[in-house]
Amino acid sequence: MIILKDIVKEYDNIIALKDINLKIDSGELVILKGVSGSGKSTILSLIAGINRPTLGEVIVDNRRVSKLQDRFASLYRRESIGFIFQKYNLIPNLTVSDNILTPLIPINLREDEVRERLDKVLKEFNILDKRDIVVKNLSGGEQQRVAIARAFINNPKIIIADEPTANLDEVLSMSFIDIVKNLKDNKKIIIIATHDPIFFDLDIVDRLIEIKNGKIL
Amino acid sequence: MKKSKINLYLLEFSINALLRAKAKNISILLIFTLLVALLSSIFFISNSIRYELNSVVDTLPEIIIQKVKGGREYDIEIDRVDDIIAINGVKSVIARVWGYYYFANAGVNFSIIGINQYEEQYKSSLERLTNRVDFDTLEANSSMLVGIGVRDIMKRNYYNRYFNFIKPNGKLKKMTIAGVFRDDILLESNDIILMSQRDAREILGISPSMATDIVVKVANPKEVSTIAEKIKFIYPDTRVVTKDDLKISYRNIFDYKSGLFLALFTISLFTFFMIVYDKSSGLNSQEKQEIGVLRAVGWSIDDILKEKFYEAFIISFISYLLGVILALFYVYILNAPLLRYIFEGYSKLKTPFELPFILDIETLAIIFFLSVPIYIGATIIPAWRASSLDVDEVIR
Repeated sequence: MIILKDIVKEYDNIIALKDINLKIDSGELVILKGVSGSGKSTILSLIAGINRPTLGEVIVDNRRVSKLQDRFASLYRRESIGFIFQKYNLIPNLTVSDNILTPLIPINLREDEVRERLDKVLKEFNILDKRDIVVKNLSGGEQQRVAIARAFINNPKIIIADEPTANLDEVLSMSFIDIVKNLKDNKKIIIIATHDPIFFDLDIVDRLIEIKNGKIL
Repeated sequence: MKKSKINLYLLEFSINALLRAKAKNISILLIFTLLVALLSSIFFISNSIRYELNSVVDTLPEIIIQKVKGGREYDIEIDRVDDIIAINGVKSVIARVWGYYYFANAGVNFSIIGINQYEEQYKSSLERLTNRVDFDTLEANSSMLVGIGVRDIMKRNYYNRYFNFIKPNGKLKKMTIAGVFRDDILLESNDIILMSQRDAREILGISPSMATDIVVKVANPKEVSTIAEKIKFIYPDTRVVTKDDLKISYRNIFDYKSGLFLALFTISLFTFFMIVYDKSSGLNSQEKQEIGVLRAVGWSIDDILKEKFYEAFIISFISYLLGVILALFYVYILNAPLLRYIFEGYSKLKTPFELPFILDIETLAIIFFLSVPIYIGATIIPAWRASSLDVDEVIR
């Protein structure tokens, strides 16, 4: 369960979020809707533990994520969060496999376990034949699948996607929605920040939360 | 497969990261290797020359007496030996016949030393030599012994078996090369030619009643300065040089200080280079972005620093090894062309000599600590700065 309690976030005296109170249950698919700059991405980064609130608390499974020291915050991100970034944030000169494996590197798992996990996500996201291709040579849709595979390599409990269809055409956007449907079946918490209307009428969406000027409407 | 204690994935990631920026890292490796090689060469040459210098100083006579007129040195009368030996505390007095011979074809000076078989020698190595070699026989055959450097120069000028000296009167004196003289101290023996005192006098133009200088051995080293004063009192027209004066003089000959200066200069240059590298290149936006991505997917600051440490260690340690090997080859195989003369403070009038191989752990450790940790620091500090930034800000 994710709880955002009395959250305020300021950047250089500009208030990005104000009085945010939100509770997301396990297995829920939540859409954060709002225009650019409304504060959706900031909420995602607070939940993912890559940013801290100015005031208030982020609690995930009874753990005060917003108060964690760097080492534990990193561990939390690695174990609990699968983040699909708007710009994918892949390392362009690395191969598909190497990009997907980056979250596993600090864990130093056994080689057979690493291979098993990699093969699983490569198959799941239909990029097995691309495993040795350098990421910068892939299309936008393929890069997004690599980014999703990377988010899944640690089998996280929470999947966070920031504007996932912003750089995709209609066909690829539909393909992403199919992936989300499969994720929903796996009982994970899924939080998607978007202003793409394609998500708003989906029957798999549990809640549509609108954000405007840093506040939940 | 068993889980390894060392994170090999992290090491592999570091190697890949280096290969991804191949051109940049190869240039750093080359520059770094050259700087380590230069630094190491300076240390190696300096150590070798210091070793030679210390060995030379140990063999120096306690007092040397030269005749001086108008600030210039002249040959000294041999009969002064009798007055000097009479001074209390003097152990022995030796009149030396020696001088330089300029070989114009090669543009170098040879040091000719005249040996009297039946007199005490001023150096133990010469004493041993006169026990083995009969200089009377050499004189009878107009022969000489030469240092290795002299032999090589003569060979290069087609004098394989003999050499024609031009005497002060312009006439030639043909001397056969009877053998090669090798002393423990190569720096000193390298340019030497040994022959009978009579032949030496003939070539150098020193009359039988004169010597180049007079060497005095003293029983008690504490009395050296007193005896030197007494000699000066008896013969005011002489310059009396003690062993301590010679030590200073030798150090000036080798221009030891210029060697140290160069070493300091190189260290400064090296440090400067690293600081410039740190300040100017630091981390570009792509590298910062990469660190941000790694942080976002769960790497801690420690993980980032470890990865950067591996990268920096691989480059700097390879450069260190290559640099030291290159310097060993340059100094001890190629005999340090160019750089050696800066250290020696020698003019090209000296015959070339081989640097003795002196390599100790201390020197290697100094070179290591002057190079590897500095580079690792210069790499890790900007990476630490970038990984401490707000991740959200870097990856957006």
